[in-house]
Amino acid sequence: MSNIHASGSCVYELIGLKKEYDEGSVLALRGVDLRIYQGEFVAITGPSGCGKSTLLQMLGALDEPTSGSLSYRGKPLPGHAEGATYRAREIGIIFQAFHLLPTFTAVENVQMPMFEADRPATDRKQRATELLEAVGLEKRLHHFPAKLSGGERQRVAIARSLGNSPSVLLADEPTGNLDSENAHHILDLIVRLHEEHQMTMILITHDPSIAARASRIIHMMDGRVVSDSNPPS
Amino acid sequence: MTFFTIIFRGLLRRPVRTGLTLVGISIGIAAVVALVGISRGFEQSWAKGMQARGTDIVVSTMGSGLAPKPFDAAVRDRVAAIPGVSAVCSIFVDLTSIESSSMMIVSSREWGGFSWKNLKLLSGRMPNDAMEPVVVLGQNAAEVLGKKIGDPIQIEARELTVVGIVDGGALVENGSVILSLSLYQDVSGSQNQINVIDVRATPDTSEEDIKKLCAEINKVVTEAKALPAGENVGNSQAYKFISAMSWGTSLLAVIVGVLGVMNTMLMTVFERKQEICILLAIGWKRSRIIRMVLLESALLGFLGGITGVLIGSISVKILETLPAIHGLLEPDLSPRLMTISVAISVIVGVISGLYPAWRSSRLKPSLAMQG
Repeated sequence: MSNIHASGSCVYELIGLKKEYDEGSVLALRGVDLRIYQGEFVAITGPSGCGKSTLLQMLGALDEPTSGSLSYRGKPLPGHAEGATYRAREIGIIFQAFHLLPTFTAVENVQMPMFEADRPATDRKQRATELLEAVGLEKRLHHFPAKLSGGERQRVAIARSLGNSPSVLLADEPTGNLDSENAHHILDLIVRLHEEHQMTMILITHDPSIAARASRIIHMMDGRVVSDSNPPS
Repeated sequence: MTFFTIIFRGLLRRPVRTGLTLVGISIGIAAVVALVGISRGFEQSWAKGMQARGTDIVVSTMGSGLAPKPFDAAVRDRVAAIPGVSAVCSIFVDLTSIESSSMMIVSSREWGGFSWKNLKLLSGRMPNDAMEPVVVLGQNAAEVLGKKIGDPIQIEARELTVVGIVDGGALVENGSVILSLSLYQDVSGSQNQINVIDVRATPDTSEEDIKKLCAEINKVVTEAKALPAGENVGNSQAYKFISAMSWGTSLLAVIVGVLGVMNTMLMTVFERKQEICILLAIGWKRSRIIRMVLLESALLGFLGGITGVLIGSISVKILETLPAIHGLLEPDLSPRLMTISVAISVIVGVISGLYPAWRSSRLKPSLAMQG
């Protein structure tokens, strides 16, 4: 389990958060109340369809809640249309299927989020190189995703998520598409990054052994939080 | 890596499709360059011919044919009498087939008129009098017809003799068979008929006064219309028809290009839907996505424009060498036409990209989580 503990300031506050699809016929979130604090490593677990990925989409401003309130550092979170600046500067996202752009090399993929940070081209490249070196891919800088293994692709995706030095990292089943050995390495990397960068980490998983590496485990069922172990008081 | 690298890489993603789209838009732009270049070149060639003859005003009836309609030769004296006119020269110009050439300019000129003065003798001699059964050939006409000094030349039913090769200082002049007006009227059976009067104004007449003089001539002459030299071809029905046809055909070709680019960009957006959602999810603004699609589309247009200009120019150069029109065509392949063509192509690209760009901007970043 990670030793990093919450430093006190609230990063996300969710009050009665609901999300409906298909004009209310699908209730993905049925009123979630939650507070996530600075520096926490939170694992959100639960069976398929319990609403954990929907919750991550709300936290990442990738979609908008149907009702309820969701604030980030005390301010309402913008909707997906206006949330680009928030997504570019405040958070990093790691996807289960890596989602690298196939026509760009590893070092180019890592630079993608940096375009919104107005960094000059040389600065972008240098930063991307440093990040890839930090995840152990210094010899794969100019490889296209098709030439990388699954574990290497996820390392590139992790490096990309750190491009603009976000304070929050959202990871959606980051080891879901990897074999156990690679999954172990990736999880170690995520834990190390959390400890080094002191960032708030929110990780979706259905694997209890992965969730066990977090400092706080939130269990969801049918669109609701059913248990919250070790929540900050 | 710059933003332009992303744009360029987007086009290289499907090289065959990009290549085929480029071919489509290139053909459209090549049509613009070739057809408009040829029709403009036609107008300019006649204007240069008149300039070479030192003509300020042309009195003619540019109707629906390529050659003006004939009118009474007596009009010449009425024009000559108008104050401000320093010299006139009656002409009968015809476009007709001569021996092996399917279209040749026959320019018969008033004997002793100023329109003979610009002809520089390259070899042989000029006719000795108005009725001597001889012609002189512009240097291109001699080449096209394969004639040299002393050769016979069949015009209408008469066999005349080539006595001189001349340089007229303009393509139209150099592509003409030139003879005396009286002789041609006799040969063609069109006595007392002319179809052009070249008019020289008194020296140092301003452009404004040339227009006023045209108005004066038009008051006196009802059989034909006086226009400043160079404007008469552009005002002819035939030229307007050719020009409209050129632009019309080009426009059709360009519309096909628009549809091609739009189809390609829509396919691109459709295929890259998830990639676009990923870019939105990692923080790209919608405006950047729109810019990416529009710039890709504009780049496609720009590359298509450059290729089209090259194809169009090469096609016209090949056309110029064809025996049927060799020496008659002086297309306008000016930098202005080429710039306009490339600009049209870029605009086509941008317009074609508007709908795909709008579609891409409507995508939700949450779709990145799927798949």
